[in-house]
Amino acid sequence: MTFFEKIDRVIRREIRIWARRPIYLLGSVAVMAFCTVFYLTFLQDGVPSDLPIAVVDLDGTSTSRNFCRQLDATQLGKVVHYGSFAEAQADLQGGRVTSICLIPEGFDRDILSQRQPTFSFYINGLYFLGGSLAWKDILTMVNLTSGAVQREVLRMKGVPESEIGGLLRPVDIDVHQIGNPTMNYGAYLANMMIPGMLQMVVIIVLIYSLGAELKYGTSRHLLDSVDHDVYAAVSGKMALYTVLFTLIGWTVEVVLYKWMHFPLAGSLWQMLLACFLLVVASESVAVLIIGFVPVCRFALSIGALYSVLGLSLTGFTLPVEAMPAGLRGLTMMYPLRHYYELYVQVGIFGSGFGAWYPEVLTLLLFCFLPFLVLGRLGRAYTYLDYERN
Amino acid sequence: MKGIKETYFGRWLGDAIRIFNLELRHVLHDGGVMIIFVVAGFLYPILYNFVYKNGILEDTPIAVVDDAACSDSRRLIREMDATREIGIAWRCTDMEEAKALLQQRKVNGIVYFPSDFGDRLAAKETATFSIYADMSSFLYYKNLLMGSEFVMLHEINRIKVERLSLDGLTDQEADASVNTVRYEDVNPYNRAFSYSIFLISAILMLIIQQVMFYGMSMSVGTMREENRSFASLPDSLTGRGVGRVVLGRGGVYWLLFMIIGIYVCCIVPAMFGFPQRGSFWDILVLLALFVTVCVFFSMTWTTLVTRRESAFLLFLFMSPVCVFLTGFSWPTTAFPAFWKGFSYLFPSTFGCQGFINLNTAGARLDVIAPQLRALCIQGIVYYILACAAVYVENFVLKRKGVRSTSTLPESTF
Repeated sequence: MTFFEKIDRVIRREIRIWARRPIYLLGSVAVMAFCTVFYLTFLQDGVPSDLPIAVVDLDGTSTSRNFCRQLDATQLGKVVHYGSFAEAQADLQGGRVTSICLIPEGFDRDILSQRQPTFSFYINGLYFLGGSLAWKDILTMVNLTSGAVQREVLRMKGVPESEIGGLLRPVDIDVHQIGNPTMNYGAYLANMMIPGMLQMVVIIVLIYSLGAELKYGTSRHLLDSVDHDVYAAVSGKMALYTVLFTLIGWTVEVVLYKWMHFPLAGSLWQMLLACFLLVVASESVAVLIIGFVPVCRFALSIGALYSVLGLSLTGFTLPVEAMPAGLRGLTMMYPLRHYYELYVQVGIFGSGFGAWYPEVLTLLLFCFLPFLVLGRLGRAYTYLDYERN
Repeated sequence: MKGIKETYFGRWLGDAIRIFNLELRHVLHDGGVMIIFVVAGFLYPILYNFVYKNGILEDTPIAVVDDAACSDSRRLIREMDATREIGIAWRCTDMEEAKALLQQRKVNGIVYFPSDFGDRLAAKETATFSIYADMSSFLYYKNLLMGSEFVMLHEINRIKVERLSLDGLTDQEADASVNTVRYEDVNPYNRAFSYSIFLISAILMLIIQQVMFYGMSMSVGTMREENRSFASLPDSLTGRGVGRVVLGRGGVYWLLFMIIGIYVCCIVPAMFGFPQRGSFWDILVLLALFVTVCVFFSMTWTTLVTRRESAFLLFLFMSPVCVFLTGFSWPTTAFPAFWKGFSYLFPSTFGCQGFINLNTAGARLDVIAPQLRALCIQGIVYYILACAAVYVENFVLKRKGVRSTSTLPESTF
């Protein structure tokens, strides 16, 4: 029997297992479908709008009311009026409003008489996105209010309209967001969360597929069908799962960059390659884990711990350089980390092969991991001498 | 007078205690379940705290291209370098060089001063400089934007006051006409927008829910595999007493997870110097309610588990989903209606919000009344569902004629 015939047998056998137990396809296809739908619809707006901003207006003049209307008219903010600061503060603590604007008594009067009233605003920074966006929104509005007063003064002094702009705003910033020009939070998260889920699903499902043979004592049957060639047994399974997960991954990539039109500076083909490498590298990690601990339940627990932590250690939210020094090296052990680096080069900068080949090589290096443990896994498959449950 | 054992209440209590003992023995003897409870329950909070220990990204490296080369642009660059957010790492002669550095990830942003920057300032026109932020992490963008905006606002004031002084105003007069409104921004609960304070507050409670769910589903799956049922009623009850089974079994998990919960919510934050602004007793009230709901929640959903490991395959992906559903990052007010409804299924949605508000924002119980109310409703609904699950399970079992495991030999106890 040639190597390919053996692989063919393993694949046919695995497909029969799929047909008998739906959990394999549920755990991969259904889970990935749910995750894709979730991350794409949950964050579909890209940037949140109408964040509740509490206003405690102790002044009650046309100036303060005008400020509230302007704030309400911004895309980000929606003004909620409160009678007292204590009520507003309770709602800020309870996370029901993102921020409080306190307009002091005599605000209008003090502005007109140049007594420089102090406007206070409070942010709940525990709800990160809402808090920081509200902070930015209110700060802009305060500066505009202040600017409006100055504009009136300049007009009264007879300064020509053409010069007022330069006098009011001597310095300005022109902001460019490379790789995500609309600041789409949904695209930012979905770009990495969905591949992150793919890494998790690959690791968990492959560990289970290999571990279930041990658990139900069917590993000898598997080995018998391939002349006790553990390389063929594992390669066969990996081959089938590579096809399955690569197809899932490619569908996801096409949905992200062709259907949702998320920004991608490079070409889709490069991301498809990255996705394929992510799948193969994650599979290798799965084989390493089950080979190292040939007990289905243990291996699954380790795989779960590893892959859930992987979402954080990839560094697409909190960058790796902000993590403790001891952990930075550990992040290299995640295929997703290298996929992310590859995505940054391809998706954000549109770099050529020269910039991202190290990541490709690292992901390929992962493929050597199974060779470390195949002997051990083969012995466990033959003798079934580990705890089953 | 009848002895307490013969009253309905006495029998009820006796049955519940027996079921409690039986379940406790199951859990303690199941190495796999105990590993999940102990290792995951105790290790995860520590790991996450460790990963996010320094949650503040400081001195994001920036490349500067200064085509203006005037005293103003140099001053702006110095001021940016002085902010906490930005560190000027490279000075480049042209944009090509800066772009290459950005691509090699040696810098995470570029600041560019065009050659007419100084001339426009001198001519009292608006002088614009550009920033280019690497959006691969929003924290880079946030740092670059905040740092340069602080500097810009500061410079605007400075230049305006300077000009008015030239017109003959005193410093105080100039300041009053430039800063018509003063403002102070207060970020009381997370002063530096620390990433760790915001994330850790949200996930601590979630860890409790997920660990309980995976542990319980493993225990239920084991019983199923051994062709027993988790839910069968003691034969002596002749088909009644569903409540006893649910409460007796639930008591075991409740006790275990109150211990784990106090560790996760009170000891772990103290270990890592995390803000603990709430009162211990308030947090304990929230925790007791949350753990209760989690028990009924897990009992309801684990009914669907048929094998020991299947929860990992089918539900592991829910952990990150649940984190988003707490509304800690994407604000609850912006949730699509369907996902808002979906989030009501999970105790973590309200438990995490309650914990963020109590522990980290220092609220009192009355502030989180809506969350507590929601948890109570969830608790009642899941209790009824858990009872229904036991009832249905028994109905099916009787049909199939599977042997009841919880045949309670009186002599054992």
